[in-house]
Amino acid sequence: MFETIMSMVLTSSFGFAILRITTPILFAALAAVVAEKAGVCNIGLEGIMMISSLFGVLFAYWTNSWLVGVIAAVVVGTLVAMIIAIFALKLKTDIILAGIAINLVGGGGTTFALYMFTGLKGNTAGLTTPQMLTPRINIPLIQDIPVIGEIFSGHSILTYVAFILVAVVWVMLYKTSLGLRIRAVGENSHAADSVGVSVLKTQYIALALSGALSGLGGAYMSMYYSQSWNTGIVAGRGFIALAAQAMGQGEPIGAMFASLFFGFATALSTKLEGMQGFSSYLVASIPYAVTILGLVLYAISTMKRVKKHRAKTEAK
Amino acid sequence: MSDKRNIMFEIARGLIAITIAIAVAFLLIFASSDDPASALQCLLIRPVWTSGALNTKSILTILGRTTPMIFTGLAVCVMFSANQFNLGGEGAVMAGGFVAALVGIYVPMSAGLHVVASVLIGTITGGLIMIIPAVLKVKLKASEMVSSLMLNYVVMYIVLHFLNMNFADRSKGATQTFPMESTSLIGKMVTGTELTWGFPVAIIATILVAIFMYRTRWGYTIRMIGINESFSKYSGMKVGAVLVISQVIGGALSGMGGAIEVLGRYETFRWQGLPGYGWTGLTVAILAKNNPILVPFAALFIAYLDRGCELMSIYAGVPAEMIDIIQAVIFLFFAAEQFMAKTKHKMVVKGAKEEMKQIELAKEGGDL
Repeated sequence: MFETIMSMVLTSSFGFAILRITTPILFAALAAVVAEKAGVCNIGLEGIMMISSLFGVLFAYWTNSWLVGVIAAVVVGTLVAMIIAIFALKLKTDIILAGIAINLVGGGGTTFALYMFTGLKGNTAGLTTPQMLTPRINIPLIQDIPVIGEIFSGHSILTYVAFILVAVVWVMLYKTSLGLRIRAVGENSHAADSVGVSVLKTQYIALALSGALSGLGGAYMSMYYSQSWNTGIVAGRGFIALAAQAMGQGEPIGAMFASLFFGFATALSTKLEGMQGFSSYLVASIPYAVTILGLVLYAISTMKRVKKHRAKTEAK
Repeated sequence: MSDKRNIMFEIARGLIAITIAIAVAFLLIFASSDDPASALQCLLIRPVWTSGALNTKSILTILGRTTPMIFTGLAVCVMFSANQFNLGGEGAVMAGGFVAALVGIYVPMSAGLHVVASVLIGTITGGLIMIIPAVLKVKLKASEMVSSLMLNYVVMYIVLHFLNMNFADRSKGATQTFPMESTSLIGKMVTGTELTWGFPVAIIATILVAIFMYRTRWGYTIRMIGINESFSKYSGMKVGAVLVISQVIGGALSGMGGAIEVLGRYETFRWQGLPGYGWTGLTVAILAKNNPILVPFAALFIAYLDRGCELMSIYAGVPAEMIDIIQAVIFLFFAAEQFMAKTKHKMVVKGAKEEMKQIELAKEGGDL
């Protein structure tokens, strides 16, 4: 049994699957990181991904161009995040509740919007044309290397964008003045305010960036991963991304590793699903159970660190 | 500003929020329906008034449908009062319903006892599930929000696993359990409607939760912690224990709601996914401003809209999912503290000016 699993895991197609599955979670996790750094918790990621994935595919269909679709998804994601921002920052709705409201819209409102715009019910499978799907990229040179080429080459262009964005977000947060402002606001908004940083403006920007990033995640879901939009398309990935953010200690690189970890767990569960003796239902719960476990491990490590720190200061 | 005026203002604000939501619904209907007039009639009037007469059956069905929403609404009230954003109601409802159904099918008991035992075991299941996010929060400071969200999916898959692998009645087309014993079923209050004896139980639960929250030491502690956790801690309250208890109560109420829903409305257990009552409970609690007594009214409002949307999808072809958009709009405006803040500000200024005038008048009167 163990050997069969190992032989499944140690294949290049498994590595390829991990990257494929990680991509949308990574986009959303980066979105969560940026928002959380500015001290706002964007629980609406799930809904933003639902809405942007729908409008991405619709715009791609109307223009017959994946690029327009992706741009539309990013724009829609940003706009929806701005709705959260206006309610949470200006009208002082609790941001958790504002996010949940967006998730509600993402759940049922998208079905409604799809019907309103196209008359379709529940999915867009009939609309898909090859021009609407984000293209696969074969990386020159790397694609010829055995194993490595099979794992890293031939993904959707958005997969590469996601991993490049890890670096971009890191640079933005730690090497630009905007990043400094975002971190300052998240760390201590009063202090930031006292030195002339506009807390509200910074949080608006952070939420907008967060919306744009999760919009990319939505675009990837409907214009590559599922090849069309359906009501269950996001399936909790926005929530998993929140967990990835927490496990990655709020850092872009940490969130990337946490996302890869979930990608691994999901890839494993899809592999096991086909095997005899495994309940497909229990196996499907693995990524979620693993998330809880990850949160626990992260929490324990944080507590230990705090204790150590305290012990040190007391010893002094 | 006087208390009375404040309450009036709050009510007016709530009504305006609801009006905005209905206005959004109107816009959506006009955008999506060929016959907006009949769609509107389905949404607003048809749930209570059909072809020129009061539709008692439909009204009682709406009343019956509030039952699970009241339970999840109360659950959210208790948990949110303690500032615990536990979103695991969904999972607790599903697990409570499933376990209650199993007791109903496989554990024969005497007539009166069976239904009570089934509901209680469903209730306990819901409570036990919530121990996980609660303890993780209190002991390890792990966000109860994220862990409870994940837990929903885990619970769902576990229930589906047992439903499909162990308890499915293979003679039926759709996946469902064998029928529950008639002794375990909750009877209808009015035959031919969805109104079961679960509804009075929900009302009793509302009263009990209200007493608990406002007339007992535990309830006071829960509310105090919600208002100021550090203050409660330093004034010697057992914050950790109370946080766990508030979430376990929330889970138990959700589990009870699930159990009563399954035993009241179905003969077999046939949920293939999370039923959604956990999220509806959230809207209900927000409409009720976390006040248990207002929960049944908020649930009635949502159930009415829900029924209206259902009729609209049947008779006017507007997708029933519109209810989610309406709920979201209500949600956003109702919870918006600063919504109409300027009007409130003006009212405060006006009130203060009037008071000053009166004082001045009184003074002048005294001088004369």
